[in-house]
Amino acid sequence: MYMEATLDPPTPSTLSEPTTPTSHEDLESLKKAQTAIQALSPILSHSLPPSLSSARNPAFSLLHHPDVASQITTLLHHPDSGAGDNPLCRWLYDTFQSSDPGLQLVVLRFLPTLAGIYLSRVALRKPLAGFEAVILALYAHETASRGGQAATVNIPDLSHSSIYHETTKSTSKNASTELNLAVISPSLEPHGTVRSTRRARIIGVALELYFSKISQMPVSSKIEFCEFCVVWAGQDGDVYRDDDDVEIKREKEEERESGGGRIPLPWELLQPVLRILGHCLMGPCINKEEDKRVKDVACGACRSLYARAMHDRRPNPPNQATLTMPSTPAANAQIPGDPTRDQGWLGHRPERFLILASA
Amino acid sequence: MAESQSSERSESENGEEGMEVREVCANGLCMKTTEVEAKLDEGNIQEAESSLREGLSLNFEEARALLGRLEYQRGNVEGALRVFDGIDLQAAIQRLQPLAEKQLSKKGRSRSESVHTISQHAASLVLEAIYLKAKSLQKLGRLAEAAPECKSVLDAVEKIFLHGIPDALVDNKLQDTVSHAVELLPELWKQAGCYHEAMSAYRRALLSQWNLENDCCARIQKGFAVFLLYSGVEAGPPSLAVQIDGSYVPRNNLEEAILLLMILMRKFYLGKIKWDPSVMEHLTFALSLCSQTSVLAKQIEEVIPGVFHRVERWNTMAFCYSAAGENKVALTLLRKSLHNHEKPDDLTSLLLAAKICSEDALLAAEGVGYAQRAIANALGVTEHLKGVGLRMLGLCLGKQAKVSSSDFERSRLQSEALKSLDGAAALECNNSDLIFELGVQYAEHRNLNLALRYAKQFIDATGGSILRGWRLLALVLSAQQRFSEAEVVTDAALDETAKWEQGPLLRMKAKLKIAQSLPMDAIETYRHLLALVQAQRKSFGPYRGLPQIDDDKVNEFEVWHGLANLYSSLSHWKDAEICLEKARALFEYSAETLHTEGIICEGRGQLPEALAAYINALLLEPGYVPCKILIGAVLTKMGSKALPVSRSLLSDALRIEPTNRMAWYYLGLVHRDDGRIGDAVDCFQAASMLEESDPIETFSSNF
Repeated sequence: MYMEATLDPPTPSTLSEPTTPTSHEDLESLKKAQTAIQALSPILSHSLPPSLSSARNPAFSLLHHPDVASQITTLLHHPDSGAGDNPLCRWLYDTFQSSDPGLQLVVLRFLPTLAGIYLSRVALRKPLAGFEAVILALYAHETASRGGQAATVNIPDLSHSSIYHETTKSTSKNASTELNLAVISPSLEPHGTVRSTRRARIIGVALELYFSKISQMPVSSKIEFCEFCVVWAGQDGDVYRDDDDVEIKREKEEERESGGGRIPLPWELLQPVLRILGHCLMGPCINKEEDKRVKDVACGACRSLYARAMHDRRPNPPNQATLTMPSTPAANAQIPGDPTRDQGWLGHRPERFLILASA
Repeated sequence: MAESQSSERSESENGEEGMEVREVCANGLCMKTTEVEAKLDEGNIQEAESSLREGLSLNFEEARALLGRLEYQRGNVEGALRVFDGIDLQAAIQRLQPLAEKQLSKKGRSRSESVHTISQHAASLVLEAIYLKAKSLQKLGRLAEAAPECKSVLDAVEKIFLHGIPDALVDNKLQDTVSHAVELLPELWKQAGCYHEAMSAYRRALLSQWNLENDCCARIQKGFAVFLLYSGVEAGPPSLAVQIDGSYVPRNNLEEAILLLMILMRKFYLGKIKWDPSVMEHLTFALSLCSQTSVLAKQIEEVIPGVFHRVERWNTMAFCYSAAGENKVALTLLRKSLHNHEKPDDLTSLLLAAKICSEDALLAAEGVGYAQRAIANALGVTEHLKGVGLRMLGLCLGKQAKVSSSDFERSRLQSEALKSLDGAAALECNNSDLIFELGVQYAEHRNLNLALRYAKQFIDATGGSILRGWRLLALVLSAQQRFSEAEVVTDAALDETAKWEQGPLLRMKAKLKIAQSLPMDAIETYRHLLALVQAQRKSFGPYRGLPQIDDDKVNEFEVWHGLANLYSSLSHWKDAEICLEKARALFEYSAETLHTEGIICEGRGQLPEALAAYINALLLEPGYVPCKILIGAVLTKMGSKALPVSRSLLSDALRIEPTNRMAWYYLGLVHRDDGRIGDAVDCFQAASMLEESDPIETFSSNF
């Protein structure tokens, strides 16, 4: 019944708009976006505004349309949403496979919710094939674009001069041979199914992809991500708050009663999570109001993860990493004006925070 | 423009000097600021401008620039912008350029002095006007317009001073404007959401010669590092132009951010800049993401005294070293910080110390102390950590039980360990790690029903995502002699793992086959394992030796050794020897290979050689239980004189591994041969009971 609105988009007028640069590729991606919007329309319960498909950049409008986002998010929360024949999962999968960068962003925008619900449902033995198809598509995309290679970092050593500094003593040796090589993301194997022991890695890689596009993500997506971090941590971070905001505490308690959601957080999953949270807390700020909303909820996520890390001291971990969650009252006193300090990782805490995470 | 006015220019303006006589000065002339401002307030820019031109003998652009600044300083941003809009700043810059060239050609001559000053004053005034225009636009939120304006300041400076800003000649005002503009530009691009432009603005600021002060440069470096770390936008490698041969060029955001932060740390040590704790925090974040906590520990160690409190420094370093796998160093540091005179009640370090101790039987008793102190100190805000303390206590007690000297002591410690873990579980019912540890403890205690329950619960809670959960379940089932079920679990686990992690599972599967008397199937499984080893060798070429990857590897030595054992159990001595040779090629001196060698010799009836091999194994590893038992077994066959020696060896083996059924069995034989039938019966009974609950691999060696 909603088809009419979308099947009859005022395409000719949009295409003939003089301001739109209409190269062949643009037309192609416009067509893809309109097809995606048409396909989405019967899935959602409320009709899509016709302005969406007639927009100059429909994929962009879709990405930033709050009503569409909330409808899709609601559908993802539905108990059967992860099934293999779920139309929304199919739509997300198809839309991502369209290989249009703008549309792929739309799918990535829902990764926090999708991964969040997926991971929390694994232990509940609910059908998840639909979710897995989408996540595997993201994983395959990242694997292909990296050529399966590991991502590594050469830890700099100041005894060799660099583009930003010079050393007095001349080192004739080849600089790169002496550097400390760190693998930040191991090489990627192709995966056709989600094997349970690889689940965290596959989601982690999908989150790495999300992080690489995070500057283009709408605020609501980041907020959803932070909220799921709290669920995943399964640990109340409020003990590490410095203010006693009673209302928030009460809300939290209600949430916690709804139960569950705590998942294992190996390093391969936690590391990309922390990178994303790092962006949410310390990333460049454009819109102050939105930024504050993200920072507040990201602070909450950090507190929960910190509390979780305090509980997670697993003996004999094969691979650990410590993480300081910066913030000391002394530091705050020294540079009171610095906005990044006030929004520090965990707010004002009397000690340096260290996350002990095991892989 | 400026040449026509030959008069020398003094300080162009002095706004801050007292409220009573605010004056605008230029060319040695002064005007009351209020007069000009009055005209501006009337909205008459042109009149204000002409009065400035007449009063101070300025040209049009200079007068406008001054007016604009007046408005800006009064906080009238929009007014300032109106004034600035009236000037063709680009044209003014164009006119400044020939001067710059002249300045170079007349270099060294005395007459050029005045030209310098004139051109510099003019440049200073015009550039400042553009900078202030950019600032005004920023304040009005018109960032997309502000950034190009600000950029044009830098472009102009580069055009006017082709060879960089002269160090000695430059006037402070001009340098200030340049520094401000350099610092402002990346901020503007960032606020405008143009991240790639921001990246290049940062690089331009740091890689060109702007003659920046240390503090200003440090601010930009930190700003860039933060942007690189958190923006989520990949900067890409710097252009080839700035790459000097042999110097380190960062290839990605993390490398560049870490480099900048390390440089900032060094500047602080050299006393060039003030301490900024956030630099250390960002560096910690960056290095932790790379799991390079040992590098971080070095950085913390380098921080000069007086910045951190010593206990804080020890604790942070302990965390770093422990995460880097250097637990001994970490524990040494923690012992210092937990000393009575320091901070003995610090919960975080107590828990870390207990955790480290829980991994080493010889430190477990010390760990018990830390854990107990942690439990006692888990009060108030940190009360939620009481469960963690109890858990650590349980783990330490369990470990301590393994080295206890008496049976009585051991069983007391074991039951206390279980009590602590149960207590922890009551506080943290959803902690899956704890569930796993309970499973292992109960399994070691041979309470197999409970162990099975916890193993299943762990797999449910983790969605089967953790390999050791599957292995524990299979081992517990094998201990219950439910081999086919254990095999089903192993197969399920194999389905859930990628091939590189299948090594331990396949090894278990082979042992399960042996336990079911299916040696040919076992050999097939070992063949599978060897194929895996081959494939692994090919695919891990470039990153071999990296600790992060080595974890998952199949242990080739174990495979050959397992095969050797299998063949020797089948009395295929030749095949066994070939496999043993392969194992020995990988690891020449090991108790395991000597053990198998002894078995082969014994099987061929070469008793002295067998004994020599067993004894050699004990020389390599004095606590190697299987050889103690076998020596004991060989000695029982050597007549009554050897029986006491045999008995003491077997008792020793049982002290180390009280659940070793073979030790009990041979001890039974010794007692029987010595005529102590009652004792013998007890031993045989123990052996037979243990056989009913014997896993295919020991529980403790696996987790």
